Amino acid sequence: MNLRRIATVASKEWRETVRDRMFFLLAFLLPILWMLVFGYGLVLDVENIPFAVVDRDRSALSRDYLYRFFESRYFSFQGYLQSEDEADAALQTGKIRAAIIVPEKFEERLLAGQPVGIQTLIDGTFPLRTDITKMYVIAINSAFSEERVIDHVSRRSGIARAQAEARVRPIRLEVRYLYNEEVRSTWSMVPAMLMFTLMVSSPLLTALGIVREKETGSIYNIYSSTVTKFEFLAGKLFPYVLISSVNAVVLWVMATLWFGVPFKGNLPFFLAASLVFVLSSTGIGLLVSLMVRTQIAALLITLIVAMVPTILYSGLIVPVSSLSPGSQIQAHLFPGMYYTNIVRGAFLKGVGFEVLWVDVLALAAYAAALRIVGYRFFTKRPRS
Amino acid sequence: MNALTQTTTSQPLIRVSGLEKQYRQHMAVRGIDLTIRQGEIYGLIGPDGAGKSSLMKVIAGVLSYEAGAVEVFGITVDSEPAAERIKHRLGFLPQGLGLNLYPELSVEENVDFFARLRLVPERDLADRKARLLAITRLDRFRDRPMKHLSGGMKQKLGLICTLIHEPELAILDEPTTGVDPVSRRDFWAILTELVQERRMTALVSTAYMDEASRFHRLSLLSNGRILASGTPSEVQALVPGSAVTFQAAPQLEALARLRKTFTQVEAMGPLIHVFTEETERAAAKQRIADGLGDITAGEVRVDDPDLEDVFVALLLRQGRLKDAGDVLPPSSARLNRDGLAIEAKGLVRDFRSFRAVDRVSFQVKQGEIFGLLGANGAGKTTVIKMLTGILPPTGGEGRVAGADMRKAGGVIKERIGYMSQAFSLYLDLTVVENIRLFAGIYGLDKEETRTRLEWIIRMAGLAGYESDLAGRLPMGVRQRLALGCALVHRPRVLFLDEPTSGVDPLGRRHFWDILSRLARDEGVAILITTHYMSEAEHCDRLALMYAGRVVTEGSPGDMKRHVEQEAGHLFEVIADQPAKAVLELRRAGFAGAALYGTRVHMFCRDPVRDKECACQALASSGVTIQSVTARPLSLEDVFVYKVMALEDQERASVSGDSV
Repeated sequence: MNLRRIATVASKEWRETVRDRMFFLLAFLLPILWMLVFGYGLVLDVENIPFAVVDRDRSALSRDYLYRFFESRYFSFQGYLQSEDEADAALQTGKIRAAIIVPEKFEERLLAGQPVGIQTLIDGTFPLRTDITKMYVIAINSAFSEERVIDHVSRRSGIARAQAEARVRPIRLEVRYLYNEEVRSTWSMVPAMLMFTLMVSSPLLTALGIVREKETGSIYNIYSSTVTKFEFLAGKLFPYVLISSVNAVVLWVMATLWFGVPFKGNLPFFLAASLVFVLSSTGIGLLVSLMVRTQIAALLITLIVAMVPTILYSGLIVPVSSLSPGSQIQAHLFPGMYYTNIVRGAFLKGVGFEVLWVDVLALAAYAAALRIVGYRFFTKRPRS
Repeated sequence: MNALTQTTTSQPLIRVSGLEKQYRQHMAVRGIDLTIRQGEIYGLIGPDGAGKSSLMKVIAGVLSYEAGAVEVFGITVDSEPAAERIKHRLGFLPQGLGLNLYPELSVEENVDFFARLRLVPERDLADRKARLLAITRLDRFRDRPMKHLSGGMKQKLGLICTLIHEPELAILDEPTTGVDPVSRRDFWAILTELVQERRMTALVSTAYMDEASRFHRLSLLSNGRILASGTPSEVQALVPGSAVTFQAAPQLEALARLRKTFTQVEAMGPLIHVFTEETERAAAKQRIADGLGDITAGEVRVDDPDLEDVFVALLLRQGRLKDAGDVLPPSSARLNRDGLAIEAKGLVRDFRSFRAVDRVSFQVKQGEIFGLLGANGAGKTTVIKMLTGILPPTGGEGRVAGADMRKAGGVIKERIGYMSQAFSLYLDLTVVENIRLFAGIYGLDKEETRTRLEWIIRMAGLAGYESDLAGRLPMGVRQRLALGCALVHRPRVLFLDEPTSGVDPLGRRHFWDILSRLARDEGVAILITTHYMSEAEHCDRLALMYAGRVVTEGSPGDMKRHVEQEAGHLFEVIADQPAKAVLELRRAGFAGAALYGTRVHMFCRDPVRDKECACQALASSGVTIQSVTARPLSLEDVFVYKVMALEDQERASVSGDSV
């Protein structure tokens, strides 16, 4: 092993990457854009559902009822409509996703102790959102109903309102959300996006960097020279590991400062674990580069190999524990899952090596295995 | 001691026997035997796909092989560890102009990278870099990114990078392809100098037959086999004969008669070129006269056959008979030949601050073959794109069939045929399907499609290939199919952009045959670009382009006569110490003296007096002259002369300004 040759290859690679505009953008701008687009785009919270109201009663009680929707952060009031036809039209054009229709004599019948039906029209084109919207409507509706009952009991029995409430709701549910106290999906998704971004950008950069030499023919400079396989691979991969590590830091800063995700863990541990992850993800790029000859093929294969398992099995969207047994096995085969554990653990749970050591070791094994395979298959005297 | 005497005494440096190399289904090398001695410049000559690159990669230890034995520096290269043991002693320049260099790095950074990869000590590196950059005149461009170099400069930089660690063996794969003739000569001068100075051995491949004389020894390759090996004269001697060039009218009739007796008959613009096995000059002339019958030949000249004649003769001997469709159907109508087919008036095209085409003007008549020559990047393709209306000119005017192509409608465009460098064929369709597709694109009706299909199959000699996939056709056949497709709608003007790249000489001759018949018989105007100077001889008229400008224009004959008037006649000197001879000649005032392999070329204004003077200069310095013979000028000589004159002019005007 000769350090001068490694340094020669590495410095050439570094200069090419920062001077070639395409590669520069790929190396430094793509991860930031990716983080911004997905950080905002992959928010699964259902909030600010646009809705409209047809109030046929226009009484104090109907306003009281509707007021609970106006106040909710889950709904966004778009205005009063005159008829159901107008509501249909607004739903059709997508201006609103829900309409609440209060019938005539709403107040009169309630006061008379008669049941009243409130018609709720919900856009069903996105089943998940529809269900969540329905749950919100039910929750607001039952809260209103319960309060009516509490009022009734307190008046009938001549007891204080608090006593009446205790009788009507004998069991109160006390929920405390751990780690992500406000149950914001941003807090959960943005750290996972950090994983996703590194998982895609670093193998892509590595694969393209190596295949570029194959495509132009400059790889023959390496083949025909005295540089050893190890020296070449070490020098070639070093700049990409470095760039990806820099990106890990940049993405961490974005997550904490821009997206406001709290970081509860130990930063040195997190950075060290990220380095181990970057070593394994660049290894994937190396492996892809050995299989293909053209940059376009490298691009496609890397995107597929890096993205599909990461989206499905890394715990990005669906927790690994709720996958089918077969999928769980697959999840353990890709490095994404381990780093997702590390990222979410470090950001939200504030845990470190004492808990996440298995994941760190798995990534380290991954990085080592990929390099060994890459070293075995890279040849300076290929068949074609 | 000079290179020639060394070669006879030294051990073989490379020994290849029974080499076979296969890529999946495709046999690239089918049993090659080769011995290369120390100190030689050894040439591998052949068309694309002949197996040159595979052979060189195997020797450089960067490609594995299936059968045979390869020994380099006495080490059997049969595994990766064995290959590693030869790599510190060799330098390899892969194919593709500048493709192995790093475009984002500067000239100096590229050199440094190669040197440091080879662990050249920094002090040696500084010395060698300074010396090599000075020799190649790249020292002014040290800091320029490689991507902004011209083709010739890239090639010289590639050579420096390959030689910076002073290897004993340099393996250079097509270093001159796509480089302008001036840079090419420069390259050969530098290589020859370095080889002699360092006692280096060089294995060099080329697709240009006319570079053969640059080599000490060479092998002709075709289809994975060696056709012949030896010194240029030995190879030439394998096929004794003469090349006869003359004028005869009517040309088509003369060609038809000669083809009955001779296997190699070509139209070269207004001239006819025939190879005959007769070595006696008078007898050769007589045989031509016999073949012509009552047609008389004018301006007859008899030369030694060039290597291309030899190559084709060897191919023919191997039983690769001419697969030409010799019976061309008679033209349907005598078309109107008057008027200009193409007219370029001061065409200019800028790409941002870069002027790709600079005030180019020329005219092409109906029935004329007009050649646009120049290296890669000289602006040929840009001119064609402007004339065909694909690219709007920045300035000037391009008229085709009387219409301004910028404003021309579809009607005019339908009268133009265009065949691009990449042979715009659909490789997954058969020959007939391709022709039908093009007929459909041009909206031919059923009847017309049928007649054109028949005509194309016969014209292009495609009979027997009708239902083969275009992708499976040999290059030469594929190229003729592409030509056929470009002709499906009976265009009056045909644009061909480097149509013969990668086609072997036999295929190239067949192709030119078709072109000259199209022009003579059907009156089609043809504008063709090529960087093969030898092909240019086939054109009626030529324009040489250099750096976006037309350097000279005229018929091949006129151009040569003009240069001969200005610079004198070309002489070839064979002497025992060629390198010293060049130095002595230059000192004696023959500035144009240059080394061609083991021979020296020089211009003499007065054949008698100057020759005498040259001989005296050589004799007085102890060089023994074996022979001094007059050589016909090639178009390459013309090009080099013109560009050099231009550069001198520029230099003069620059220094004039600064005074």
